Amino acid sequence: MNNIVLRTIVNLISRLLLYLSIYLLWRGHNAPGGGFIGGIIAAIGFVFYAIIYGPGKTRERIKLPPMYYIGGGLFFSALSTVISVFTGRQPLTGLWIDIPLPVIEDIHLGTPFLFDMGVYLVVFGMITAIIINIMEVLRWN
Amino acid sequence: MHQLLPYLLTSLLVVGLATPLLEKKLKYRTGVFLSVIPLSFFLYFLWVFTSLGKTESLIIPPIMELVRGGGLSVRLDGLSVLFGLMVSGIGVLVLFYASAYMRKYPRQGYFFMLLTFFMGAMLGMVLTNNLIALFIFWELTSVFSFLLIGFDNHLEKARKAALQGFLITAFGGLCLLFGVLLIGDIAGTYEISELLNKGELITSHTRYPLIFLFLVLAVFTKSAQFPFHFWLPGAMNAPTPVSAYLHSATMVNAGVFLLLRVNPFIGDTLLWDSVLPLFGSITMFTGALLAFGEKDLKRILAFTTISALGIMVLLAGIDTTKSIKAALVFFVVHGLYKGALFMIAGLIDKTTGTRDIDRLGQLWKPLGLVSFAALLSFFSMAGLPPMLGFIGKELIYGAKMQAAYFSNIILVFGILSNMLMVGISFYVFYQVFWPYRRVKKKVAIDGHYARSFLLSFGPVILAAFSLGLGLAPVRIGKYLQNAIYFIRAEEVAVDLGLWHGVNAVLILSIITVGGGILLFIFRKQVAFNVARFNNWLNKFYLPDVFDKVIKNYVKVASRQTDRIQHGYHRYYLITFFVITSLLVVVHLFANSGIAPELQLQPIKSYLLILFIVMAFAAGYAIFSSSRIAAILALGIVGYGIGLVYLFFGAVDLAITQFLVETLVMVIFVLVIYKLPVFAVFSSKASRVRDIFIALLAGGMMGMVVLKSNFFNVETPISDYFINNSLNLAHGKNIVNVILVDFRALDTMGEITVLALAAAGVVALLRLNIKKRENE
Repeated sequence: MNNIVLRTIVNLISRLLLYLSIYLLWRGHNAPGGGFIGGIIAAIGFVFYAIIYGPGKTRERIKLPPMYYIGGGLFFSALSTVISVFTGRQPLTGLWIDIPLPVIEDIHLGTPFLFDMGVYLVVFGMITAIIINIMEVLRWN
Repeated sequence: MHQLLPYLLTSLLVVGLATPLLEKKLKYRTGVFLSVIPLSFFLYFLWVFTSLGKTESLIIPPIMELVRGGGLSVRLDGLSVLFGLMVSGIGVLVLFYASAYMRKYPRQGYFFMLLTFFMGAMLGMVLTNNLIALFIFWELTSVFSFLLIGFDNHLEKARKAALQGFLITAFGGLCLLFGVLLIGDIAGTYEISELLNKGELITSHTRYPLIFLFLVLAVFTKSAQFPFHFWLPGAMNAPTPVSAYLHSATMVNAGVFLLLRVNPFIGDTLLWDSVLPLFGSITMFTGALLAFGEKDLKRILAFTTISALGIMVLLAGIDTTKSIKAALVFFVVHGLYKGALFMIAGLIDKTTGTRDIDRLGQLWKPLGLVSFAALLSFFSMAGLPPMLGFIGKELIYGAKMQAAYFSNIILVFGILSNMLMVGISFYVFYQVFWPYRRVKKKVAIDGHYARSFLLSFGPVILAAFSLGLGLAPVRIGKYLQNAIYFIRAEEVAVDLGLWHGVNAVLILSIITVGGGILLFIFRKQVAFNVARFNNWLNKFYLPDVFDKVIKNYVKVASRQTDRIQHGYHRYYLITFFVITSLLVVVHLFANSGIAPELQLQPIKSYLLILFIVMAFAAGYAIFSSSRIAAILALGIVGYGIGLVYLFFGAVDLAITQFLVETLVMVIFVLVIYKLPVFAVFSSKASRVRDIFIALLAGGMMGMVVLKSNFFNVETPISDYFINNSLNLAHGKNIVNVILVDFRALDTMGEITVLALAAAGVVALLRLNIKKRENE
């Protein structure tokens, strides 16, 4: 769809949705949001992008093959699963650390966040993988 | 130092993974380089072996437990160290040998990776103090054996043999698991050191016969006992270094190792003392007999290996101190000569291009030192002085005389099969090496291989050990005491020697050698008749029978699969909905009556409006004749549900519902945009059927929802989540905390399913694209 207005808007929106999704992922533990929702939102941004720019350009834009995101996501989740084993606890036990920061409030970081990041990546990768491939089958654009 | 052992064993996996990279740098030197690992293990075992007291064992607790009671704890005693010495020692030589032998093969890095993995698994198996760990390593050796037999994966024969060996040994592995679990159930522990004094408890238990059956199946499949022996000759399709290592000196002895390991707490019963000697002697005899009918050098050696394994099982079954001693010595004897002979067979194969003993001949001079090693090894196999094999055979005769049940029959069979062994040793040596045998056509000799240092190093060293240990047997005798102490729980002085004066055993030996020479003289007739017998036997050719069984099994399975997996989406949905609904309805009806207990509350007006809109949208979707309109209508239903979530304060759910609905819409529209309009509408009959199914499913769901208010049998877990979300899991968003913390395992499963689904979808779509590109 070669329309300069659409192109510009979609470019902007997909970016915005990506940032929004990262924000939702970050705050997910304490407020509505989280990896699943974040992953879908980020993917929707790229789905719009793909509808306007076509699957080839979208592949370029997400840099890595979608399957890599899925694999990476599974890896992060698995990693957060086993980290606690090395400290002698049951697998999947949440471990938390506080990172004190001046001015803004402290960052409270834990393995569940790593896990959520994995969920985010898997969901994102899955949706983009399916959409891009469907579009290639349909010869979109 | 000892504490590091579990880490060292695990590190072999890392080294194994790195070998393909090493191979890129080192090329054919990889094997020589890798041999540092088994060599250091060998030296370490040697040190432990000499420093271990007569009744001492070292137990190293596991780093971590895989399952409750199952972790890699290490046990160093005479038995494990003896096996460890053989595994690592022959490992060094095999790696040397393989680096020359595999030089022209593709995928050498992969080969050495498998060999390293196997070494790790085998060492882990003999060293562990835990039955669960033992089972895991046992299965790992089967897996690596499978991959190594099928290494020449372009040959159908190799693939078939690999699969056959794997199916049989893996079946045995499963039996071992059952046996181990039963033992653990009765004794309450999987640690061998704790099981040692619980023998009484296990052998007197009513489930003992079952345990025994499982363990015996494991042993018989792994150690190629009759009637499971037939996978071992097939395994000769592996590259020769693999045959020399896995299928003669180490892996196939795992069964014998298991017998010796569990002997203190499983053995010494009527079953043990009768079943094992029986099958052991059958295997011993048939192996030796069938070896005579073969022409392929490696297959001959394979059958003699079967025979030797039979002897070891027999000895473990006789279960006296003397027989255990004989089994241990014979294990060493056999590993030494058989490893050497296999390596020589491979060398001959490389040098002349054939392994047929009729075509080979007069190799004594061209092979030089190797022929001498072959002579010594054949002497050891025949059990002639002054080799270690002679001492082994003397011990075996002594032990057989003591057998608790039918010792006379065992002895006669033993003498017969030993005669056959002597005969076959002379026969093969005469055919292949004897310089004065007349041959029709001399085989061409590739001097490069004949003089290869790396190829001849292994057999020469092994033969030297056979000779050296035969001349100075006191060396190993001293160290066997520890092994025997833990197997038989008694302290005995082990003194091995070549000469014990003229006694019954010596006379038997002389008779055996005489019979062997007689067999050698009539070798043509014997070989001919055995070959004929073999042909007749091929009517019941076990590998074929096995193949047939597997094939029929697969056929039945695929027919079944065709019936269930028909490939029609609508029928899958019908099956799913009908079965689920019926199960739920029946369950509800059986438990609490089908009528819902109504406890109605006034409905909010905005919800009512929402529901009416949704109902209309659903109705529209049913009757619409345009796909896109139907899907948009369904979208309205979806968004409506999202709104309902929102009204009841489930923000996360609502967001997710909206997002998913949007996404589904987009995908649907993308796809449907390209589809033709409806061409054929479903018939009236199928519509009526669909109505009933829809009503059933919908009614079921409605009933469940209405009933669910009254199903709170126990306190709902949601209270726990609400109370602990912030304290324990540091999160205020309970939904998210449940997803990533309380129920993270479920989520883990779900994202794995997602990933698999994505992989499946992508694979299907790519297939489509590829097909198009090919056109």
